[in-house]
Amino acid sequence: MSQSLAPECNELKERYDTCFLKWYSEKYLRGIGTTDNNECSTLFKEYSTCLQALKERGIDKLLDEAREDYKENDATLMGRKKCKSPRHPGISVGI
Amino acid sequence: MKVFSNTETFNYSWDEVSTANWRKYCPWNQKSTHVVAVDTLSRTVDPETGILRTERLITCRQSAPEWLKSLMGGCIDESQVFETSYVDPRNKTVTMVSTNLTWSNLINVQETVVYRPLNEHQTRFEQAAQITALCGGWQRLKNSIEDTLVKRFRENAAKGKEGFEAVLAMSRRVFAEERERERAMLLQSQAANIRQAATA
Repeated sequence: MSQSLAPECNELKERYDTCFLKWYSEKYLRGIGTTDNNECSTLFKEYSTCLQALKERGIDKLLDEAREDYKENDATLMGRKKCKSPRHPGISVGI
Repeated sequence: MKVFSNTETFNYSWDEVSTANWRKYCPWNQKSTHVVAVDTLSRTVDPETGILRTERLITCRQSAPEWLKSLMGGCIDESQVFETSYVDPRNKTVTMVSTNLTWSNLINVQETVVYRPLNEHQTRFEQAAQITALCGGWQRLKNSIEDTLVKRFRENAAKGKEGFEAVLAMSRRVFAEERERERAMLLQSQAANIRQAATA
């Protein structure tokens, strides 16, 4: 697996990545694991907590700006905003 | 603004490609060494669509041309990219949208990559990038910056394809070994059951 930008998080990242890859190939792609509450969530929390170190480098501010720019894109790709008009206009789509 | 686009075909199923894509930048890939770190920032599954959305922070280290360095004050070898990806398991697509976090006041790079199945055994990779230098005024300077980045994209794309092929080959081997191990374990336990039944 690849390294973390925060070297102190490498071990936690490795454990999470390994768990995720197993879940992705064995469950998600087979349509079994469609919830967020999967077996890797504890490992992800530990890894995320460790990544807080990146905040001190000011990366979170840059990320917030990038996320703001991506809102429209995001809505389209998450299927919440239909590019084409819905086939059944009577049924409302989205959240 | 300059545009770079590229398409490739991988002789692997979409399932294999979309799985191996998560470890594209691992030590099995000895070509894309400019990617030094990949961190997952968030990951969710949309309960309605089943779309897996992931945010990653990708850190690259690649030396910039000297003229650009002197212009920007030296330390530009390390840069960060923010990538949001969407796996749609029903339509079988992986879409990855990336933008540069570093030097975003000077250059804007937007890249979109889509993986979709061509058939059961092949996957199509489509890459498109828009590169815009934002520094006001000097058109010639803007052009040079954009051209440099387009050239960099082209070089990295060629290396990326080669490196990812290595990751795909290795992933297939590792998965096959894993299946073989599981099969062996299953046979072993079946044999044990038969022995047990015979002695009973």
